[in-house]
Amino acid sequence: MASEDIFQNECSEEPELEVEQRMETEDAAESEDETEAAAPTEETSPAADAATEKSVGSKSAADHERAAKLTQLPLGRVKSIMKLDPDLHLATQEAVFTVTKAVELFIASLARESYKFTAQFKKKTVQKKDVDMAISVVDCLLFLDGALK
Amino acid sequence: MVERIEDLNLPNAVIARLIKEALPDGASVSKEARAAIARAASVFAIFVTSSSTALAHKQNHKTITAKDIMQTLTELDFESFVPSLSQDLEVYRKVVKDKKDIKASKKDAADASASGSGAATEEAT
Repeated sequence: MASEDIFQNECSEEPELEVEQRMETEDAAESEDETEAAAPTEETSPAADAATEKSVGSKSAADHERAAKLTQLPLGRVKSIMKLDPDLHLATQEAVFTVTKAVELFIASLARESYKFTAQFKKKTVQKKDVDMAISVVDCLLFLDGALK
Repeated sequence: MVERIEDLNLPNAVIARLIKEALPDGASVSKEARAAIARAASVFAIFVTSSSTALAHKQNHKTITAKDIMQTLTELDFESFVPSLSQDLEVYRKVVKDKKDIKASKKDAADASASGSGAATEEAT
């Protein structure tokens, strides 16, 4: 399907420098989330995988500070979203990073898909109906069907 | 599964920026559309996580790794994300490693008997 082509070019990473400063302030708030989020993990999962546990928990605050330069979305927030999955036992920090990056790519893709309909209606502002159209037309977005009510 | 809807919120400012960067100059996004995209992003994160969990479970391992995420994305028809993500992951690994090295050398210089640095270095591996 032609509309899926846009999902192919997803490598734009340039505008990160200008973002850094803002991220630093968000980062301060987020690292608190991070430490809070780390505690429940240690309770829910027994000491069996202690080494991996650390990769999710204690290490993350320090990593987060550096990773802020690589991701725009806060890793801590994405991690707490991931933890909503009751079946999730442990996730490495790399996995959290990958999901965060994937979500960023996803947002850009969905925005572009939606804009196709905006442009089709000869408009400049993306409306909710454009997003709905994109979701109903693009195959790999089918999982969102009905989720945005 | 989801108790508080606020847990699913990603920061609005960042969402707005990501959308803006993806669209051509002069284009804008209505509030409702931005909210919809933000919610879609949260749903996407959960969708990918639960699919990865299922995948890891099938393969009899408990810890979700970056590799699981990549494999899941491929299965979910988001394979176009994978090359870019692999690159990002390389950079991430390098940054983590560099940080580890800097930390280690700093600690070494400051205090030869820095047992704390040893522990931190092990964790980061």
